[in-house]
Amino acid sequence: MPSVEDWLHNPLGIIQGIFDQHGDSDLPLKVGEYFQNRLGGKDALAWVPSLNDTPLHHLKPNSLVKFRCMVQDMFDPEFYLGVYEVTDTKFYFSLRSGRYKDIAECLPHQEINLESSQNVTLDRQTLYCVPVPGENPWVKQGFTNSSQARVLPSTSYQPVRNKRGLEEEEDQTPLPGNNAPTSEGQNCSREVSNTPEPESTEAKRTRTEDEAGALPSPIPDLNFPLPGETGPACLVKVYQSSDSLKLNDVIEFVGVLSIDPALATFNTAAGETATSAYEDGGDMMDIEEQAAHSPPPSLVPRLHAILTNKLVHTNPGLPVDLTTPTAVSGITTLTSEVPQIRQQLCSLLTEALLGDSLAAEYLLLHLISSVYGRRDVVALGKFSLNISGCPGETSYPQLLYRLLQELTTKSHFLPLTLANMNSLRIIPKKDYTANRLLSGVLQLSERTLLVLDETQLEPGQLQTTGVLNVQALGTAVQWQKVDYDFDFHKTEFPCNLRMLLLSEGRSLIQTDCQVPLQPPSPPQQLENTFQRVQASLTGDYLAKVRSYLTVTELMEYTLPEDIQKVIEEDFVQMRSADPKNMTAEDLHSLLVVARLLALSIGQTTLSQEVWGRAKQLETERKTRVKAQPQTQART
Amino acid sequence: MPPRDYAAEKEKIKQFIAEFYTSGDKGGKDFKYAQQMVKIAHREQVALTIDIEDVAEVDPDLAEAMVENTRRYIHLFADAVYDMLPDYKQREVETKDALDVYIQHRLLMEQQHRGGAEPRDPRNQFPPELMRRFEIYFKAPGQQKPLAIRQVKAENVGKLVLVRGIVTRCTEVKPMMAVATYTCDRCGAETYQPINSPTFMPLQMCQSQDCVTNKSGGRLYLQTRGSKFVKFQEIKIQEHSDQVPVGNIPRSMTIFARGEITRLAQPGDHVQVTGVFLPMLRTGFRQVTQGLLSETFLEAHKMTKMNKTEDDELGAEELSEDEIKQIAEDDFYEKLASSIAPEIYGHEDVKKALLLLLVGGVDRAPKGMKIRGNINVCLMGDPGVAKSQLLSYIDRLAPRSQYTTGRGSSGVGLTAAVMKDPLTGEMLLEGGALVLADQGVCCIDEFDKMMDADRTAIHEVMEQQTISIAKAGIMTSLNARVSILAAANPAFGRYNPKKSIEHNIQLPAALLSRFDLLWLIQDRPDRDNDLRLAQHITYVHQHNEQPAAQFTPIDMKLMRRYIALCKTKNPVIPEDLTDYITGAYVEMRKEARNNKDSTFTSARSLLAILRLSTALARLRLVDVVEKDDVNEAMRLMEMSKDSLVGQEEGTKRQQQPQDVIFSLIREMAPPGVKTVNLADARERTLAKGFTPDQFDEAIEEYEDLNVWQVNAAKTKITLI
Repeated sequence: MPSVEDWLHNPLGIIQGIFDQHGDSDLPLKVGEYFQNRLGGKDALAWVPSLNDTPLHHLKPNSLVKFRCMVQDMFDPEFYLGVYEVTDTKFYFSLRSGRYKDIAECLPHQEINLESSQNVTLDRQTLYCVPVPGENPWVKQGFTNSSQARVLPSTSYQPVRNKRGLEEEEDQTPLPGNNAPTSEGQNCSREVSNTPEPESTEAKRTRTEDEAGALPSPIPDLNFPLPGETGPACLVKVYQSSDSLKLNDVIEFVGVLSIDPALATFNTAAGETATSAYEDGGDMMDIEEQAAHSPPPSLVPRLHAILTNKLVHTNPGLPVDLTTPTAVSGITTLTSEVPQIRQQLCSLLTEALLGDSLAAEYLLLHLISSVYGRRDVVALGKFSLNISGCPGETSYPQLLYRLLQELTTKSHFLPLTLANMNSLRIIPKKDYTANRLLSGVLQLSERTLLVLDETQLEPGQLQTTGVLNVQALGTAVQWQKVDYDFDFHKTEFPCNLRMLLLSEGRSLIQTDCQVPLQPPSPPQQLENTFQRVQASLTGDYLAKVRSYLTVTELMEYTLPEDIQKVIEEDFVQMRSADPKNMTAEDLHSLLVVARLLALSIGQTTLSQEVWGRAKQLETERKTRVKAQPQTQART
Repeated sequence: MPPRDYAAEKEKIKQFIAEFYTSGDKGGKDFKYAQQMVKIAHREQVALTIDIEDVAEVDPDLAEAMVENTRRYIHLFADAVYDMLPDYKQREVETKDALDVYIQHRLLMEQQHRGGAEPRDPRNQFPPELMRRFEIYFKAPGQQKPLAIRQVKAENVGKLVLVRGIVTRCTEVKPMMAVATYTCDRCGAETYQPINSPTFMPLQMCQSQDCVTNKSGGRLYLQTRGSKFVKFQEIKIQEHSDQVPVGNIPRSMTIFARGEITRLAQPGDHVQVTGVFLPMLRTGFRQVTQGLLSETFLEAHKMTKMNKTEDDELGAEELSEDEIKQIAEDDFYEKLASSIAPEIYGHEDVKKALLLLLVGGVDRAPKGMKIRGNINVCLMGDPGVAKSQLLSYIDRLAPRSQYTTGRGSSGVGLTAAVMKDPLTGEMLLEGGALVLADQGVCCIDEFDKMMDADRTAIHEVMEQQTISIAKAGIMTSLNARVSILAAANPAFGRYNPKKSIEHNIQLPAALLSRFDLLWLIQDRPDRDNDLRLAQHITYVHQHNEQPAAQFTPIDMKLMRRYIALCKTKNPVIPEDLTDYITGAYVEMRKEARNNKDSTFTSARSLLAILRLSTALARLRLVDVVEKDDVNEAMRLMEMSKDSLVGQEEGTKRQQQPQDVIFSLIREMAPPGVKTVNLADARERTLAKGFTPDQFDEAIEEYEDLNVWQVNAAKTKITLI
């Protein structure tokens, strides 16, 4: 029986063993079962080092690792020798499995027989995976802390060299995030506004150098959806059930790490070996594709997936599977505390929203909203929120976002500046020369909070890309879908994002729900308020709030028959009273509010009181919205 | 499995080529391949396409082997054809190019050498590839289903597959060396090297008998003129969007096209390719780096271009009995109509109009004049009444359609623009939405917010069905045989029934009159409707699916096929109906004059009625228009007008025409007197916009009910 060390450090040996025993048929299934048994034990998974937080050079090649990531692109299937024959000098034949490895291996005295009739060609699916975009620091930290893996640096590296690993490399190499076309946010807008500054011209110079320099020796663009992200991208090879994996799914892979330097394709070498005219011509088409599809393994390691786990949530404070008995009991204890947690969170948000309790209520609902079904074009459960009336000329949106970042697992802040709109790639686009999907800001995994800051919008000209970008944001907000650009056609990908728009007036993008902020007193000393709020979020309490948000968003919900009747009657009544203000759309959003309200207090069915409360909330909000244009006209 | 005897297979193949025949038109035997062989022998034909179906007829085993092990059988066929060719030569062939001369000389040389009975070094022998001027291709059997690219798996390697996709990239056509010919600088002997892989190592030393025995060390030089090149093109195709499962990225595949297959497709074309799925052989350093992997490509044998509509038609076999039964029920018209956008509640008449729009009327072109058959519909209405949803549903349902907004952001707009090609710098026409939707439906949302330039162009499209362009030296007229489905918002936020349409929607009358049907969808509170709407919505929220309706909507694919079937019919209007139609039209004109209607009744309305009634006849799959069709067409027209008039009248007209006529006549009768002059009554009802037919029907129906009696002379009605 192999020891722990064995399956952790030499998984290929075990796989070969299973192969020798059972042959190739059903191999992925058997291997999966074997490792599932090994890892099923208590905390066994924690012993597996994670690619997310361990620098690559600390990991041993061909050892077992795990990787928490989002599927960013799917490449064409790869054809490889699934079974190959090895002959040694004494002409002794043996069969080896080619699964879970990139390079055919054999002992020094052996030779691979490529002509053998026993060789079997198989295909496997390659997925290009990136770390979960928008994952907040506390989540990363949480996962790192819970990891038990003690990775000993391999002896060939000096520890001192290890220390200067990624960080310095990142500083020196022009990562895509620092490049002009994809850079975003404050950096960019500041540069645009203060052009005369010498610093910015210098920045521009280096930028152009970067771009020029990037051409001859391309450091592959790692293609992260959000600019400025770091972490390893990874080519994951999947051996079974590849069709159930979808784009933008968040998955934890456990598999064999492969970082053989021979995997890199060197263009110069290729150029030298190209002898005939055809070779040049034939490969002309593929140079970019090669660069994108086989980047150096030191940058983009390969992972041969043995186990794939679709992650429903990425909250490190909760068990991965929420249906196990232990997890369920944990949730029940949490549910008993829900009223207090909700109460506290609400008052906290009220303070953050300058004392506006209605807006706080809506923000809370927004944080647990999620699309739970789709019927033709309508996404049920979408609840994009527009908080208008944010104090302009302040850093209020940033401050608010910083708070939300602490609460949610995945979030991103996108200032809607003109420069951003005109230059940022928002819609993912297929690049046919490199044959890959160029990522965009809207390529995010499920339930990511996307905060759009409209207060930074200034008058100016939107270019064509700008118009398209705003349109794309609009469809994402309204329909929860993104039309990926495949050049010859557009393909619709449904998304499930929480879109929060912060604006001064009414937002230019139509949202499901608009709440004008009405602080009881004029805002003062925003910084201090937020410091106070942040300070009150500590340790155990913070963890509870985070778990609360994750658990409530995942709860099942039903609408009992009798309440349905009540709702129908109510709707007819409201409509006959005021048909203009009660359309089918309004009923949709009212039902969503009721659902979220019920979930937020830990109930899985709708009750009369909650329905009443939802109606009350909506009426209150609507009167506010109605009052809004008049007040604006007056000021 | 015992290894096949390929020599025997070759004999079989020879026999097949020589003897295969189909029975010709005149009862004689039509030797399909033998005739082609004659042409090939005389260099009049290059490609010989073997239909595997034909082979299967004679020898199913052989056909199967051809699909399973295609590469090998291509060679066998080529060998067989080469061996047989001299027998088919009937006359001297003119030499066409240098290679032909070379071949001739080489053959002569060989004959001389044979006289000397000197055994030749195999390397100096003429490789068969060099002497062949024909190409062999296989055509996949018809019943083989085209695969999506993602269905081509490892088990397909080496087999003949049929894939479909869209061309994303293709290289230029380049000559690729098939056989390299060298001459020795010492002995002058020619050496040949057939090349099968993408790379080759040129030969250096002469291997001929002379040089080897003399150890003269002759060097070989490549001879371009003596070598054989084939045309070569590399193409990339990508899956169609409908073959990709939700949430997946379309996959792509590399295709190598040689010889006659090149230059058949361009980026953006939809193609169907038959070919052999093969691993790519790399040599040298590449082989080391690729490790266990092998790249794959498809060696094309047949490439056919298809457009989007054909693609759909290919799947449309004859409708089966069951499907016909499913559609052809009594209320099939209602059923089909309500299957349009089943998620949108109500609006039956609008849906009927949309159904007719999809089917379309019959085009007529008497003596150079062209009368369009396409039906244009405009939906107007308050914001948020599912106009856009109806549009997008039609866009999805119609086999060929374009969806655009009046304020489309592209520079091309709706019509067409002259653009400079970024690659070649040539001026070329780029079609806008209307051109791209030719023979289909163009859905234009936000019709009222259209650009002025497009608005003028759309006049032409809607009646003449063409777009004339005179820009940048290009003067042309493009076909735009489209049905336009437009959606417009009222100018002042809400539709004001007291104003005319032009005021409500800021579009000129000339444009509005070009729509066959104008529809106003209004949002009115109504207890029953609201309740059903609420039930619908709560149900959807609870169960996340459509509530079980009284009927199951017809599947979109079936609808599409049925509509395609309808379009093949060309119904005519029989002589005896013309009077009826003209009568009805005159009535409509009269009413329009009397009522000072907000809509227009012009000659265009008459054409609209004709179009709608032919479309209805098409829908019933008959060749003659019937009275009912005309009545239904007029009813739709009437309903569309009613929708514009406003609330008060709207509810009243929902009644059966008979009932309205009845109440009209009852009102006519002065109090106390219970008789009404029939002629007066008729005049009165016709003035109210009813047809004479409806009047007669009403009289009859109420007589049956014993509400009134008509005297025998048909002059008086007596109310009971």
